[in-house]
Amino acid sequence: MDTKKIKLPHGIPGHNLGQIEREVPADEPPAWPVNDELKHVGKRVKRTDAEAKVTGAAKFTSDIQLPGMLYGRMLRSDYPHAKIRSIDMSAAEKHPGVYAVHIFKNVVGMAQPADDDAAGEYPDIKFAGQPIAGVAALTTEIAEEALDLIKVDYEYLPFVVDLEEAQKPEAPLVFTTNVEQDDAGGGGGGDTGLKTVGNVRGPSTSSFYGGPRGDLEKGFEEADTILEQTYRTQVQTHCSLETHGVVVDWKPDNVTIYASTQNTKNVRDEFAEVFDLPKSQVRVIQEYMGGGFGAKHSLGNFGVMAGYLAKKSGRPIKLMLDRREEHISSGNRPNSIHYLKIGARKDGKLTAIQQRSYGTAGVGLGAGVGRIAQIMYESPNFSTEQYDVFTHAGPGAAWRAPGNVQGCYGLEQAMDELAEKLNLDPIALRDVTDTSEIRKVERHRGAETFKWSRRKLPASDPGLIKKGLGMAQSHWPRIVHIDSTAEVRAFRDGAVEIRSAVQDIGTGTKTVLSQVVAEELGLKPEDITVRIGDTLFPDGPPSGGSIVTGSITPPARNAAYKLKLQLFDQVASKLETDASKLAVDDGQIMSTEDPSKKIAFKEALKEMRTGQISATASRSDDYGGFMVGNAIAYGGLGSVQFAEVSVDTETGFVKVEKIVAVHSCGRPINITQIENQINGGVIQGLGYALYEDRVMDNETGHQMNSNFDQYKMPLSLEIPDIEILIVEDYSGRSSTDAYGIGEPANIATAAAVANAVYNAIGTRIFEIPITPEKVLRALNKV
Amino acid sequence: MIPSEFEYCRAGSVEEALDLLAQKGPDAKILAGGHSLLPAMKLRLNSPGAVIDISGIGELSYIKEEGSHLVIGACTTHGDIAKSTLLSEKIPMIVEAAAEIGDVQVRNKGTIGGSLAHADPAADWPASLLAGEAEIVLASSSGERTVAAVDFFQGLFTTDLGENELITEIRLPIPDAYTKSTYVKFEQPASRFAIVGCAASITRSNGSCDKVRVAFTGVSSTPFRDQAVEQALEGQAPSDDNIEAAAEKAAMSVEVMGDHFASQEYRKHLAKVYARRALQAVLS
Ligand SMILES: Cc1cc2nc3c(=O)[nH]c(=O)nc-3n(C[C@H](O)[C@H](O)[C@H](O)COP(=O)(O)OP(=O)(O)OC[C@H]3O[C@@H](n4cnc5c(N)ncnc54)[C@H](O)[C@@H]3O)c2cc1C
Repeated sequence: MDTKKIKLPHGIPGHNLGQIEREVPADEPPAWPVNDELKHVGKRVKRTDAEAKVTGAAKFTSDIQLPGMLYGRMLRSDYPHAKIRSIDMSAAEKHPGVYAVHIFKNVVGMAQPADDDAAGEYPDIKFAGQPIAGVAALTTEIAEEALDLIKVDYEYLPFVVDLEEAQKPEAPLVFTTNVEQDDAGGGGGGDTGLKTVGNVRGPSTSSFYGGPRGDLEKGFEEADTILEQTYRTQVQTHCSLETHGVVVDWKPDNVTIYASTQNTKNVRDEFAEVFDLPKSQVRVIQEYMGGGFGAKHSLGNFGVMAGYLAKKSGRPIKLMLDRREEHISSGNRPNSIHYLKIGARKDGKLTAIQQRSYGTAGVGLGAGVGRIAQIMYESPNFSTEQYDVFTHAGPGAAWRAPGNVQGCYGLEQAMDELAEKLNLDPIALRDVTDTSEIRKVERHRGAETFKWSRRKLPASDPGLIKKGLGMAQSHWPRIVHIDSTAEVRAFRDGAVEIRSAVQDIGTGTKTVLSQVVAEELGLKPEDITVRIGDTLFPDGPPSGGSIVTGSITPPARNAAYKLKLQLFDQVASKLETDASKLAVDDGQIMSTEDPSKKIAFKEALKEMRTGQISATASRSDDYGGFMVGNAIAYGGLGSVQFAEVSVDTETGFVKVEKIVAVHSCGRPINITQIENQINGGVIQGLGYALYEDRVMDNETGHQMNSNFDQYKMPLSLEIPDIEILIVEDYSGRSSTDAYGIGEPANIATAAAVANAVYNAIGTRIFEIPITPEKVLRALNKV
Repeated sequence: MIPSEFEYCRAGSVEEALDLLAQKGPDAKILAGGHSLLPAMKLRLNSPGAVIDISGIGELSYIKEEGSHLVIGACTTHGDIAKSTLLSEKIPMIVEAAAEIGDVQVRNKGTIGGSLAHADPAADWPASLLAGEAEIVLASSSGERTVAAVDFFQGLFTTDLGENELITEIRLPIPDAYTKSTYVKFEQPASRFAIVGCAASITRSNGSCDKVRVAFTGVSSTPFRDQAVEQALEGQAPSDDNIEAAAEKAAMSVEVMGDHFASQEYRKHLAKVYARRALQAVLS
């Protein structure tokens, strides 16, 4: 491959900004300078779809109406554990207005026995809410009436829904053989090939960062101080505003699926596989979406059901879950019992970290929490054991920074406690143990904005209502999805368009793409039409792992660059110059040697030999290569958050007064949208810290709060002042050098709040959510 | 989330509502603001054969002074009560209680009569109505009767309301100028219903507390007046110490509720804290 050497910005402006020379493929575009010198990238560009959203013109999956469309609903088990002897659909099938019925032969989205021999006619019921069958009818009401007519003969079996109960030897077993899950939640722990004993699977002892390091015992011997602590986190459900769902339109030679999904490509592939269709005959469209947070990567049982109902009825089927189904069946963040032992020397250098966790993703895998402890601090000796515990409850799913949010809650409280033991300021301790330059800058810029120096000794605030300050930091990997492609087209009438199957899940991907293409072509973002969320276009990355911006903006820029070169070739002779001497700026193409030789970009398009030109580019490897495989890039997405709380020591009520969130994501592309993401992440973090909790009834195996009337999420009244600092962090790894922000935004909040609560009351709360009652119990007042 | 089938009837007057009630029998349900009934119907906890909508009866929506009483029509919304200057001057705890209910949407539709009839143990209204010694007027096709609030609330979702009766009015004696009152609440964070709601109304002369009324909602399955707290303070000149001592007696005589958000012990503790906060607010 031909290569060339280019110099790229490197470092943190205002701190250590310089340049780095890298050898890159010859067809890569020249390096962009830092954002200050760019026109559209790094600016506060308004969302391309802001108007459509606020006026209601935007069509979400739940808004799709097709001629002849029927409504699908699913029957779910009311029992957490049972065998099905028989299912009688006859009355439901005959119910007037019902057009099709279907019984599941297998259920997806949960762990599957490694050997399928034991499978009976119907899948065993393993959680209350597991889907059994479905119907399609003229209205949702008729469909629900028909569900009432389905007769299921169950053989009830004992069940367990509690994480600790499930680990006891006498606990009813969820699986009797070893199990695997391809689409496990992403928190870690779900590695293939691990054995299950009782309800406990594992341990997983490694992650994509590798396995254990050094010699634990020796590490603890070298320590001056050892901290040992156990932290507990709860199950949190995703609570997307738009529930899961699809509309399936099955035509004789192609199927169109409108899906509320984070991954159009994967929904297409799964549908094609289930129904044995060529991928080219399945089209998935996601134009607008009301949130996913990790739980919407798959076709899901609802998608499979909608497919069968569409196939059988010959009519389009809409199948959207309701709020209860969303809580009980569509994913959640697993809980954890997280044990940490950390050894440190007097100066704060860590000598060893030992981590062990048990968590339940219900009938799924992926409840591990150890990745963040493995990577965030320098410790020569490290080991982790992460166990998945099965319970008869709905499966977990990836949930905004899976694993790291749970892990951070423990790790960052441990570091806070360690700092106190070592008589160090929490920031000073991290300056010693954390080698990340970006987080160091974030800590100190944040401390200044937050006025960290006003922090007092724990519980030293007089009066009943005590203020407290705390901080915590986080790590998230820079993940790149190289199967990410974008096509840029220009039309003779002046239109410029970018196309990719990548979806915008509300994060602002459409706007970001318009900025990148506009920057490269010397146009304005509003000149660029963004067509994405449709598998008719080249495959894009899934919207998970905070990988979209880092994966799709480089090919978007590169495709625009290639298109620009094509256009230069076509107008060079007209401008009496060489194509290599041309450049774009402000809607013009001009000669770099003689600025009088120029033509408006739109005029140039009129000169094209063909009606359209097009260029396509896929994600290049990172400049200088990847850290792990072809997915994990060098560096990390750092973040540091500070929290100020007040605690009413009579009622235990915690109010978060202020959050300062300091984040980096490589080269920031759209400041407003990054702030939106951080606001959202912090708010979800507050919900996790103080309110959200899936409460299971041990007697019935049902979730007791599967509605917003009982499942508390933060509302406007609870949202504090959130101040955001974004730190530019150039590393010269791709043509845009940009990375994502979605997940990092959510990781540190709960730990920062917990540390602030400790600072306020002088007693640590080891279990979230930090409810008023837990605070009073910690204070020994009840 | 879809109710079973029911007949919908709209009453234009109290008389018509009473006729419909008599006609449709025990299978009928009154519909006022619908903010308790409709959720129950959607969850199929309640499946009435007929629903008699009284929300359009203008003659049931009012707040006025009538001799020695302030009277509130049963269909008056929480929102209208929260905005009443008449009530806020004469019996502030009533306005404070109204303002604590749910959110704006709930207050704009939900009615005081509906809340009383529903008798949710965590509803806000009962505390201030008990402390205010309210009376509730009940009408049926065979006539009208008046019940004291203390006798009206009988238990979890249970009241003295007869099957064919309609709540038409809530009557509150106007306290003298030496009476001050307040309502304070610790709310369930998700539903915003009361975990503990405490109303206090105190009449003072010459520095001493002549009459003390303290009532709770949310604490026990039935809202109650807490005479132990009242008596501890009555006849005394208030001080930090005797306020504290009176508050310590809160919720001693009842069985306190517990749930996954607030245990029995914790609720009991909150009852004392909120008794003290209410007393302090009134006496400061
Ligand atoms: C989201 C939400 C939050 C809420 N938060 C709170 C809160 O914080 N505090 C609180 O106290 N309440 C709260 N509520 C309940 C609210 O106050 C209801 O409005 C009230 O409980 C019922 O009044 P309604 O007019 O809506 O009655 P409806 O729902 O119409 O009726 C309730 C019951 O009363 C009966 N009924 C109604 N009117 C009469 C009448 N005149 N005579 C006889 N029977 C009658 C009906 O038959 C039915 O059984 C909340 C409700 C919601 C939906």
